[in-house]
This record gives sequence, structure tokens and C-alpha cells, in this order.
Amino acid sequence: MSGNPLDKRYAVLGAMLIAPTVLIFCAVIVYPLVSALYLSLFTIFTPTLRGSFIGLGNYAYLVNSPEFWRSLWNTLLWTVCTLTLQIVFGVAAALMLHQNIVFRSLARSLILFPYFVSTVVAVLVWRWLFNDLYGVMNHLMLMAGLIKMPLDWLGSMPNAMISIILVGAWKYFPFVVIAVLARLQTIPDALYEAAKIDGAGAWSRFVDITLPQLRDVLVVVVLLRAIWDFKEFDLIYLLTGGGPIIATQTLPLMVYKDAFGLNDMGRASAVAVSMMLVMLSFMVLYLKLAGRGERESQP
Amino acid sequence: MADVSFQKVRKAFGSAVAVKSLDLAIGSGEFVSLLGPSGCGKTTTLRMLAGLEFPTEGEIRIGDRVVNAVPPGQRDIAMVFQSYALYPHMSVGENIAYPLKKRGVGRAERDAKVASVAATLQLGALLDRKPRQLSGGQQQRVALGRALVRDPKVFLLDEPLSNLDAKLRAHMRAELIELHRKLGKTFIYVTHDQLEAMTMSDRIAVMHEGDLQQFGAPMQVYEKPANLFVAGFIGSPAMNLLPGMIESSGSGLAFVRQGLRLAVGAGGQAGQKVTIGVRPEDIALGSGPFVATVRIVEPTGHETIVMADIGGQSAIVRVQPDTAHVVGSETPFAVRTSRLHAFDSVTGARLDLAFAPPAS
Amino acid sequence: MKTLAGRIAFNLFAWTVVLVTAFPLIWMILTSVKPQFELFRIPPTFWPEQITFEHYVRLIYETPFLKYMRNSLILGFTTTIVVVVVATLGAHSLVRFRYPGRERLAQMVLFTYLLPSVVLILPLYLMMVWLGIANTIFSLVIAYTTFALPYALWLLRSFMQGIPDDLEAAALVDGATRMEAFVDVILPQALPGIISTSLFTFILAWNEYLYALVLVNTDEARPLTTGVMSMLVSAFNIEWSLLMAASVMMSLPLIIIFAFLQKYLTRGFGAGGVKG
Repeated sequence: MSGNPLDKRYAVLGAMLIAPTVLIFCAVIVYPLVSALYLSLFTIFTPTLRGSFIGLGNYAYLVNSPEFWRSLWNTLLWTVCTLTLQIVFGVAAALMLHQNIVFRSLARSLILFPYFVSTVVAVLVWRWLFNDLYGVMNHLMLMAGLIKMPLDWLGSMPNAMISIILVGAWKYFPFVVIAVLARLQTIPDALYEAAKIDGAGAWSRFVDITLPQLRDVLVVVVLLRAIWDFKEFDLIYLLTGGGPIIATQTLPLMVYKDAFGLNDMGRASAVAVSMMLVMLSFMVLYLKLAGRGERESQP
Repeated sequence: MADVSFQKVRKAFGSAVAVKSLDLAIGSGEFVSLLGPSGCGKTTTLRMLAGLEFPTEGEIRIGDRVVNAVPPGQRDIAMVFQSYALYPHMSVGENIAYPLKKRGVGRAERDAKVASVAATLQLGALLDRKPRQLSGGQQQRVALGRALVRDPKVFLLDEPLSNLDAKLRAHMRAELIELHRKLGKTFIYVTHDQLEAMTMSDRIAVMHEGDLQQFGAPMQVYEKPANLFVAGFIGSPAMNLLPGMIESSGSGLAFVRQGLRLAVGAGGQAGQKVTIGVRPEDIALGSGPFVATVRIVEPTGHETIVMADIGGQSAIVRVQPDTAHVVGSETPFAVRTSRLHAFDSVTGARLDLAFAPPAS
Repeated sequence: MKTLAGRIAFNLFAWTVVLVTAFPLIWMILTSVKPQFELFRIPPTFWPEQITFEHYVRLIYETPFLKYMRNSLILGFTTTIVVVVVATLGAHSLVRFRYPGRERLAQMVLFTYLLPSVVLILPLYLMMVWLGIANTIFSLVIAYTTFALPYALWLLRSFMQGIPDDLEAAALVDGATRMEAFVDVILPQALPGIISTSLFTFILAWNEYLYALVLVNTDEARPLTTGVMSMLVSAFNIEWSLLMAASVMMSLPLIIIFAFLQKYLTRGFGAGGVKG
């Protein structure tokens, strides 16, 4: 920065405008983040909030805890499966909505709605659909002859895991749809016309033109959704509560259970911190990608 | 009296230097163009003058006031942007009135001034429209109107015509010249288009890579380019630059390169690496002591451009449209030695070299 | 899709997919207007044999639903106003001012935008207890800024980067100060972006569950998400049509936004959600 007084005045004004943000960030994000690390070194009884320092004891406990590893495994399984479904359905639906269908904007709204609706609403509706006695799902599958007995969708394994994965896919695939649809609209028609002239069929046009054009946006979408699916709490907690027993318990649920069910905030913090460490690789990758895109878009 | 002056002004963005060390004094009422290829520092120079960028070193004066730390609005300048930068949410009238409003001019006076500017620029019927409802040419006028309404000391124009089509551009050029004559204010005009600079300016400042290359009247810049860069940049088609060497030749010196040998009447020394510059109109094909091979012939109607090979280097020659040249044929040619330019091949600086007329 | 038959077939297929996707939501609405006894039919009826709004009436008169709704509205609007005001100033600063640390700050915003709530929630819980504001709507407003502020900042920053620099420069040359240029020129241009961001922030706040679950356990401050779930848990036998009616009511703001302001949603998505 030069020593120009006007330049300095501008910099001060800029700093003043960002100051509220920085203050709030420090108070509600930076401080809690640091104190989560700090808390994870204690054992704290939640109701009284009394605790004692145990160093890395919580982490040592977690390394030897089958529950932790099971929760991590559940988290990964849920993330990978639901993310895959989201991407596949999302891209397919985007391609479909990109075509000229009747009442396209209404169709678009209906497809997007699950993403914007509260998880609480989504879960209530799905629990009603999954209801073992009067649920439509069981009824339809019985009618179609796929099952002979009504299924227990949420209370037994592997049904519970499959159910949360399906509901997760339903709730979050519209995100992929919007992202992909926005990108599709920017692919110039000339590309397709050129390919047509060169004799490319519909499939090879998709593989040779559409997919490469979508690659960048898909990388970003996969990373973002992976991060968000990994930390998903509401949907799983409300559908199964992590059950049966801990069969669908993911790490965020374990944090909640340790803190408010088992009343050990220290250990819960240790789980949360461990979870964040796993996520960090995704986050760093995303930050790098986003940073690159930013530099490219600036002159 | 200098109206605007730069003294040893330097501007760096981090490690990138946009303007190296600029000294420039612009007289009151002058129309000066800052001319150069993109990235030469001309826009940065203008933006520093406007107060939108701050010089890293040096002083900028408007009138006798150092304005380095004066906010743009208090510099008594007005600026027309390449993108026009019209406020999209304001009507044409509000756009033009905005500078007055910011200066606390009362409503009645504001309206009167806007009306008078609108009348000058034939915008009267458009005052209630939004900028996006206007054509490019109309938007341009509004941008101009917003600058005019203030009656500032200095007008800054950043490539104002580059977004217009060719016909409109020619028209606006004439209008700007007329406007400048009428107002008698200082105009500083940034452009990469030498035609604009040549036709409109009192003086042209040619810039390249953050350095001022030459500052002079259009014909001076054309007739006496200060260095190789200016020589190659000014003129269309560009001047032919032919590198060679000064050698002793009998009693005197001669410029020698493949396919060309010119006796030097004065200046220069043997062994010096020299590049000569010949404008396309200063080569005469058809007769002469040298031989060129015709490569490409481009008739444009009122003249014909011939690309010819002179000793392994292609040169551009302007000829009358009625002369026929066959591609691939060899043709004799002569150069008008009185109009030759010579430059030091190493430093690029102009050399004072006189060439003897060809012995006929 | 050249032949008419092909077009019709494709349209049918596409709309089948759309309706299957939307089925749970359609089913929610249908269930909410069926009389209680009709739910227990086997096989279930699709169209209600008899349309009733008794569940909505009961929801409003016999449950704390309206109280939850009021809490959610206060919470949603307060969070949105606080976050959008702070983020608009912050984004403007990040985009148009130069000072040391600006790039780092922008990166940190993006980082916090990805941060999992469960990491912050325990310290925040302790903080609220310590401040003595646990169990208040205010504590939720504070907690919601942890995800809403980075999100709004990022979104607004993208929007503001789309406003040409020349506009502010022109205003400065025309005699405006930096703040006047912000108010006169940048703000009107950023308005669509601000509306988008407000809508997204409001939806985020409206739908949030985890913080509400942890930080509030009194009906006085409970928003709709945890409130409606508590109705499910506390009910002796689950009244699905009542819950579906609650779900419909809870989705009303979204339906309104979708019906009238959808362009702002998709625009917001393009600007910040995906581009990153």
C-alpha cells in the first residue's frame, strides 16, 4: 500500500465495513472452534458442566471404541451412497428438464421443492409414507408383488440405512439439478450443431460434448455435497435417531448422543473434532478449487 | 500554462509496474491523446489523474494544486468511461443530474442545466428513459452529457468510442473535435486507435510498457518517430523496419543489408547496427536500383497494397491501383531517401542520419 | 424428439418422473385434508373421499402451533435482517476495498461456510448458558449467524463482483464519497442479490433444526422445526393428518416464495451456491 492519505482513508473505511463481520466471526465461529479443541481435552459432565483435564484421553478412548469406528463407517457409507444417487438422479433430471417439456417451469419448481422444504417436513412425510401399517410405500410394494409382508423401513437393518440413503437422495438431488441445469444453459448450441453435422448421434453428443462441459461443475457439486452430506444431522436423527441401536448412527449423531445422551461434553467434542479432521481434506480441496476458479474469472 | 502535469509518477500493482516514471505536462485547453497498445499504462495514467488509482511515487497536479490525495469528486475533472458506466437504475435525466446533485446544486438550476446539456447533445426526448433502453450511440451521448453538465476544468475520456460501430465512431470523432473547440477545455483522451489520436489531438503521448515513448503533435510523431516502437506503432499500414549495418563504402559510409545499399550523406559510423524505416508510400516499385519479389497483391480500390520481399524480409508498399503487379515476379524498386528514418538497432533510438539521393 | 409421438412419450415420461418426485409432498397435502378415520383404510384412498380442514383448525386452536410459528417468524426475520445487513457491508468491503488481509478473510468466509454445526454447537451451548441467554430466541439468532453469515457473505460477494467497477468509479468522479457511491449506485444494483440472499437466509433460518434442538427447550422460544417434532414425540398416538397439516403450514412461506419469487432463488444459486 502506498502512503497516500486518501488510500489509507479508504482502507480504514473498508476495515470499518468489514469490522462487524469480523467481530461476529470471532465471537461465534473462531472462539467456539478453538474452544471445541480445548473442550475435547476434558471430561465434562453436561448437566453440571464440571470437568477435569484428561489430555488426549478422549481421543485415546475413541481410537479403541468400536462405536466410533462404526459411526465413521456409517458416515462414509451414507455419504458415498446418497451422494452417488444424488449425482445420478440430479444429472438425469437436469438433462430432462433442459428439454422442452410442457409446463417446464412448473416441473422445475416441483423438482426443486424437496431441497427447500424443511428437513422436519421431509422427515414427517417420509415417516408417514414408511408407516408399517398404513404407509403408502408398503402398500404399493405389496400391490406390485415385490414384498409379501409389510416392511419395517426404519426399524431394522439394512432397511434403515437404505431408507435414509433414499430420503437423502430425494431431498438433496435438486441441488445437483439446479447446478447442472445452470451449466447446461451456457453450453453453446453451436457445439451440438457442429457435432450433428459431423454425424454424432445423441449418445455420443452427450458423452463427447455435454459431459466434458459438465465436468467442472460436477467436481464442485460433488465436493460441496460430500461435505454437506458428511455433516448431515437433521435428516438421519429425525428418521432413525441412529437406530436400530447404532446401525445408522453417523458421527454428527454420535456427537449429539455423547453430549446430551451420555452427558459427556468432552468426549463429544473429541468426536466433533475428529470428524472435522476427516472433513478437512474435502474442505481444503474445495477451497483450492474455488480459489482457482476465482483467479481465472478475474482479469 | 500547464493545466495537468505528472512529475516522476510511478505506479506499481504489487510487483507489476504499470507506469514507470512519467513526466508529462499538458497545456490548458489542449486535446491530448494517450496512445498505446493495451497494457501500456495509458488507462492507469488516466485513472491516476481521475483519483481512482493512487501513484506509488511522484506528483500529479491539476492547475497548480497537487491532487495526489484529493478525492476524485474534488479534482474538478469529469470522466467518460469506455463502458459509459451509466447508472442503470437512474433515468437519463437523473444520470446527467447526478454530478450536480452531489455538488449540492439546487433542483431548479439542476433541471435547467440538464435541459441545456440535453439540448446540445440532442437527448431532450430521451430524458425519462433508462440507459438500457438506449442504443450504444445514445448511451455514449448520455455519458458525455454527464461529463459536460459539470463544466469541469479537465475532461478525461477513456476509449469512449471503442464500443461504437465504425460509422458512428467517425461521426462522434467529428463531434468531439467540435465540442473541444467550443468548450476550450483540456481534453485527455485514452485510445489504442491511432486514427482517433491522429485526427483529434493537438498532441499525442505514445506509451509502451509503462514508459512515455514520445510526446508531440500528430504530424511530428508521424514524421519524426522518436524510436523504433513509435515508428512501428504509428502509421497504417505500419512502417517497414529493415535492419542492417553501416559500412564504409569508398570514401563515405553506406547502409547495407541484403537487397539494399544506401549511401549515407551524414552521420553514423562504420560497424553501427542500424534499422531503417521506410513508410509504404515511400517505396516506388517499377524502376530503381534494387530488386524485390512480389508476394501478395491486395487491391483496396483507391490504392493497392503490395507485400514484397526485400532481401529476405517482407515489406509493405503502397502503389497506385492502376499498376499491375504479378505475384511471384521480380520488380525493380527505389526508396525516397529524403523520407527515410534511421534507428539504432540496439537502443531503438532515432538516429540523425541523412541518406544521399540515389545516383541516377 | 422429432416426431409428435416421440414428443408426447417424452413429455409423459418426464412428467411421470416429476410427479413421482413430488409425490411425497402431494401426499402430504392430501393427507392433511382427509378425515382421521380415512387414513386407516386398507388400501389407502388417493383422493380424499371427504375434504376436511378440521386438522388445520385443531392445529391453530388446540396446539401451540401458532406460538411456534410466531417464534419462527421472529427468528427468521431477525436473523435475516441482522445477517443481510452485516453481510452487505462486509461483502462490499471485500469486493471494493483494498487492505491487508482481505484475501485471507475471503478464504476464511468460504471455510466457515463449510464448517459442520456440530463442532460449534457445544461451545455455543456453553456460551449461551454462561451468558444466561439459553432458551431464548435471541440465542438462536446468534447461533444461526454461524452458518447464515458466511453463506450470505459468500453469496453477496459473488453478486457484488458482478457489478462493474466503473459504476462506483463514475460515482466517485461525479462527486460522491465512497459511502455515497455505495448507497446511490452499488446498493440499487445489488438489490436483486440482496433479495436472493435474504430469501435464502430466511429459508435457512426457518428450516434449522439442530441448534433449536440443543439451545431451546421451552415452548416460549421453540421454533416450528423442533416444535412440530415435539408434537410428534409427545402425542400418545400419532395423528398423522394433524402432522401433515402442520407440515403444510410450515411450508407455506416456501410455497409463497416459490410461487412469486422463484427467479431470485435460481439467481442466488447461480451466483454463490455452486460457483463457490
